[in-house]
Amino acid sequence: MHRRGVGLAAFDRQEQSKRSFAELSSALSQSQVDHLHSQLSQFRTALAHFASTHRDSIKNDPSFRHAFQQMCSSIGVDPLAGPRKGGWWAEMLGLSDWQYELGVQVVDVCVSTRERNGGLIEMSELLRLVSRLRGVMGGVITEDDVIRSIKTLQPLGAGYQVVDIGGCTMIRSVVKELDEDQTVILAVAQLNGGRIVEDQLIQQKGWTRDRARAALENMLLRDGLCWLDDQDEEFGRSYWVPSAMQWDI
Amino acid sequence: MALSTHTTTTGFLLPSIHSAPPFFTQQPNPTTQSIASEQWIRLILSYARHRRLFTLRVEDAETAGNDWDEVLRNERINRRVLPSYLSAIIASMAAKNVAAYEPPKQNRSALLYWRLPEEWAEVLHEWAISTGQLNTILTFYDITDPPIESPLTNIPLPLLRKAITILAKTNRAQLIGVADGEGVRFFAGSK
Repeated sequence: MHRRGVGLAAFDRQEQSKRSFAELSSALSQSQVDHLHSQLSQFRTALAHFASTHRDSIKNDPSFRHAFQQMCSSIGVDPLAGPRKGGWWAEMLGLSDWQYELGVQVVDVCVSTRERNGGLIEMSELLRLVSRLRGVMGGVITEDDVIRSIKTLQPLGAGYQVVDIGGCTMIRSVVKELDEDQTVILAVAQLNGGRIVEDQLIQQKGWTRDRARAALENMLLRDGLCWLDDQDEEFGRSYWVPSAMQWDI
Repeated sequence: MALSTHTTTTGFLLPSIHSAPPFFTQQPNPTTQSIASEQWIRLILSYARHRRLFTLRVEDAETAGNDWDEVLRNERINRRVLPSYLSAIIASMAAKNVAAYEPPKQNRSALLYWRLPEEWAEVLHEWAISTGQLNTILTFYDITDPPIESPLTNIPLPLLRKAITILAKTNRAQLIGVADGEGVRFFAGSK
């Protein structure tokens, strides 16, 4: 290109060389992109292979999982990123960001309602509040989803547990052992919108008055699992279990 | 039975806990009670702000027919706050500095700080600036009962005095005696 031609033919020649340069450059970048693609897919396969061979360790060993996640983040791969449902993490490990997200929301609801229910929430109530938080209709999130999410939270040691009380699934977010009497009380309260009085326990469960009073007072004073109402129309004194009450907020 | 929110005749939205019967009983468990009183304080302050109420008295729980009926009573579930409980709530409000006994040295009546005195001081100063009343002498009556309603209309004198004292500390106001009582002069000051 040192010598510029003159005349009309020179224009054509210039046009043509410009075109061939453009062709060459796009061919080059195409091959670069292809190369990158193949490298990426190779990397992905390797990572997937790694994840699938060490699947059990990743799932079961918290420290291994931590190391794996650290490795992923150091090479700029977010194992939790991906589409809402699925993603290769989900395929490989049976977990997904969706599951974690749900777990965080379960914690959110449990913690924000702990004040009023003493750390015990009924499954349907939890589902309702989580659904509201996510802005989805009921049924989209199932009990099973929540139970699985709570299981994924276990390594955190927050003490979230699914317990069965009188045929009613409840989630306990405080580390507190419920004794047998309390379990019975919660079940009775469940049937009465949260309200419970000594006489119910005496009549329905055949308890002595002393036993009923002691169990209720323990829940009230020692555990903070129920609230007192001293304006009860019928008995003058009733106990209310917040986790068995239906709250709109 | 679902516990739901309720909108009162004055247009105030009561929280759902207000329809829970035990909410109206002083709780023997201290942890539970601190949760309950937190809820009560929030409710009382937001209602006071809604209706611009400045005072809460133990008597308000004794007899019906006062400004506080909608909050201290719930006819729908037949519950009310007993005077002894209200007295305890007022005490915890005073302890948290969101209310102050007024007059001092008694515990039957309190001034509610749904705005803190420091916040009232700023409101007062901004009002003086926006109405062009800097450097002129105003009586307290000019402030509590201005020709055009202001955020300060009907502000109780003890609260007004507190706000002025706060402004005086930064040289933005000066309390002065006038012929028929007290007055104040505002200065631009530097924020």
